[in-house]
Formats: sequence, structure tokens, C-alpha cells
Amino acid sequence: MHIVVHKTKCQGHARCWAQAPNIFKLDDEGYVLPGDINVAQEDELLASRAVRSCPESALEIDRTSAARFEPADMQPSAGEA
Amino acid sequence: MALNQVPDHVPPEMVGDFSLFTSPGMLPTPDGDPQAATACVHAGPPIFYSPFNTRDGRGTWVITRATDQRRVLQDADTFSSHRSIFASALGENWPMIPLELDPPAHGVFRSLLNPLLSPKRVTALEPAVRERAIALIDSIAASGTSCDVMKDFALPFAVSIFLRLLGLPDHRLHTFVGWANDLLHGDDVKRPAAARTILAFIDELAAMRREEPVDDFMTFILQAQVEGRRLTDEEVRGIGVLVFVAGLDTVAAAIGFDLAFLARHPEEQELLRSEPNRIVLAAEELLRAYPTVQIIRVARKDIDFEGAPIRKGDYVSCATMIANRDPAEFECPETIDLMREDNRHAAFGYGPHRCLGSHLARREIVIGLEEWLARLPAFRIKEGTAPIAYGGHVFGIENLIVDWS
Ligand code: SF4
Repeated sequence: MHIVVHKTKCQGHARCWAQAPNIFKLDDEGYVLPGDINVAQEDELLASRAVRSCPESALEIDRTSAARFEPADMQPSAGEA
Repeated sequence: MALNQVPDHVPPEMVGDFSLFTSPGMLPTPDGDPQAATACVHAGPPIFYSPFNTRDGRGTWVITRATDQRRVLQDADTFSSHRSIFASALGENWPMIPLELDPPAHGVFRSLLNPLLSPKRVTALEPAVRERAIALIDSIAASGTSCDVMKDFALPFAVSIFLRLLGLPDHRLHTFVGWANDLLHGDDVKRPAAARTILAFIDELAAMRREEPVDDFMTFILQAQVEGRRLTDEEVRGIGVLVFVAGLDTVAAAIGFDLAFLARHPEEQELLRSEPNRIVLAAEELLRAYPTVQIIRVARKDIDFEGAPIRKGDYVSCATMIANRDPAEFECPETIDLMREDNRHAAFGYGPHRCLGSHLARREIVIGLEEWLARLPAFRIKEGTAPIAYGGHVFGIENLIVDWS
């Protein structure tokens, strides 16, 4: 799963971090770090919960096929090609 | 503008008769549930004009949908946060900082203060918070089988944490609570008097710390730099007053509402007592159900919003309790479900002004509930008593006598 981080919308509620501190990292002021996030399969439930708890809708699960076939994901071991 | 007058540009059919100050359930009511009483607006339009909806009797537009509130609060270009709410009690005009500054100036001060109350920083404060909760609850448990949650726990707990943050001694606690009470809930004589007292206190504290710096909040503010310069006296004041006012009342009110709910729901109480790891999630639902503030913005320009002609200077109200009961945002919003997972509640607002103290507030609530449930047996509202709850600018609960005999 791939999560799009709309950094400019983030207002530092830290709800994502509270749900999944290993997936969502915060800066020193408490705002989510920029850059989209690839989530391992076993963390998907946790991550989607975190996305749904962001009051600003700053996080978005990218369900387009492009996201699923990003170069980073297309390792032989991904088993998806 | 005369008091309660509906401005000419407001179409008469857009005037609604709901107000957080004057509607049924908003005045102090025994066993009242003011948050629930706000939910009636969802049967109506997404926006209406309420003629009596501020402390000084001004009207506001009221935004009833969570998604529209998000739109308003995220759009600081259109909706200003500068109201001089504290200074106006003194007939003056200066902002509490950062709350009443708009971007980009807001961001400068927000960046300065954010690290002081960041999730990381709050984690470091946690042991002191827990220690304080334990000390208060243990002394309550030792002294009998009944107490007033507000007076004996919620207020001294919240206020002492915040005094410690500011670097102030605990023994002035009752004095400060008295000032805050007069400021937030006093009449036309008490309010300005309290505002003047608080201002003098903040100025005096600043003078003391300037003379003799220590490791505390005020010293940090005095030594800080923004945009390559020191803060002005007015900026120091604006920050000091905000931190003082914001820290005193809101967390205590939240804890009061939460424990009142648990006192009335023994099954939920038992659930959290036997499975304390559920408290973190439950606290979010309690924040959704019992938020305490109405957020008001001032239109900076004319704008049509969902069919309403908002004109420059109009007040626009985003009441967190209204957003949090919006059926379009929350399934069965009237049901308080401590296991609710999808919970993008508005208790701390939305947008750049999101409550700076939210991380600390949240931890105080969770720790307060954890220690209370761990140290006291099943409790209920004491027979023959009824907690008095009220609406207004900050919702609150006056007394909460509980009993575990
Ligand atoms: S929950 Fe949303 S607003 Fe809060 S830190 Fe995460 S991304 Fe930012």
C-alpha cells in the first residue's frame, strides 16, 4: 500500500503517529515528515486506520495501479509482476 | 452595531434561533448535557445566522457541517483569527499569540512554540503528569468515599501541570483558578478586573525573568528570537496571556465531562477499568462527545458560503461540539461508543491554529482517567446531587460529586 502525504495540509495533530509511530514520523515541531510512504502488507490495517484518523485529511491511500507498480515495488520478490 | 441586531445583509430566512449562550440547555443546568443539545442544528441548513452567539451578545454565522468547518478553519486568507478577545475586555486591541495572529506571522510564532508542546516533549513531561495525578487521587481515596471531581481533582490536576510548565509554584493554584473563573465565567465587572490582574501578573513575571533568567517557559520566550530579533513586550504579553488562559480551564472541563459520563455508565467504567489499554481510544471518543470550545473567525472579505452572504467583518462560528455531532462525519453521532475507531473529531480545531496544547491535553486526560480508574472503585454520581453543566464560550461543568461508598 502507498500513502500520499499532503504535507501542506498537515497541522500537526499527530493522530497518525499515535496510531502507527513506525509508519508516520514527525519532525521536531510535531508535523508529519514530507514524502509519500510505502507500507508493508502486514502494516496495512494500522496504516489505513491512521489515515482515517487524520482530522485534516492530509493523508490519502493511493489506490491507483500506478502506485502499486511503482519502481520501488517492482522487485522480483514482490511477486506482483 | 446594536446588540443582537441582525445586519441588513442577512436574509431573514437565514436567521436561526440556536445559540450556544441562550438556547435551551446552555444556561447552567443540573444534569445538563449542553454538547448533546447542540445537535439539533443538523436538522437545519449547513449555515445560518444566530443573533446571540458571543459573550458580548454579537451575532455569528454558524457552520453546522464538519467538512465546512474544516474549509473555514483551513482558509486563513478568508477567515481571520484576530479578535483581540482578551484585550477587548480591557478596551484594548492586541492579539493573543499565536492564536490571534494570521499566517504568515502566525507560522513564525507557531514554529517557535511548537517544540515546547510537541508529542516528543509531552512524552518527556509524562512522568510528572502521572505523579501529580497519583498524588491527588491517593489523597482523595484516603480522605473518604466521596469527592467533588472538579474541585478535588480536575482543576488542581490540570492547573498544577500547567503551572509547572510555566515554572510557577503550586501554592498559588487557587489564586489562579479564581482569576480564570472570573475571566471565563464572570460578569461585566469581574471579567475586566480579572483580565487586568492576569495582565499585571504576566508583565511582572516577565520583568522578574528578564532580571533573573531561570529554566522556564517565560525565560524561553524572553530569550527567543523570531526573524532574527527579540520579541517585543507586547508579543511576550500576547503569548503569556494565551498560555495562561488556555491552560487553566479546558483540560479540567474535559476531565469533568469524561468522569461524569463514566459515573453514569458503570458498564463502560468497568470495561476501561478491566482493560486500561482501551483508554487511549476511549479518550478520543470522549473528546468527540464532550469538546468545550466554540471557535470564531472574522471574515476578511465578502464571500458567499453555501448560499449565505458572509460580509467582511462578520463573525463565523465553528463550534467544535456541532462538528463532532455531525451525522455526515460520524456514524450514529449521538451514540458514545468508546470503541469508535474512525474519529476525526474537531475537539482541537482544524487548520493552522490547531490547538497548540493538544498533545499535552490529550495525555493529561488519558493519564487522569488511567490513574482514577486504577485507584478508585466503581463510582457514581452521589445520590441527591446533580452536576451543573453549561454552554457558552467554553463549555463546562461546575461541580461533580461522586461517591464510591
Ligand atoms: S494526523 Fe494528519 S495532521 Fe496530524 S500529523 Fe498526521 S498527517 Fe499531520
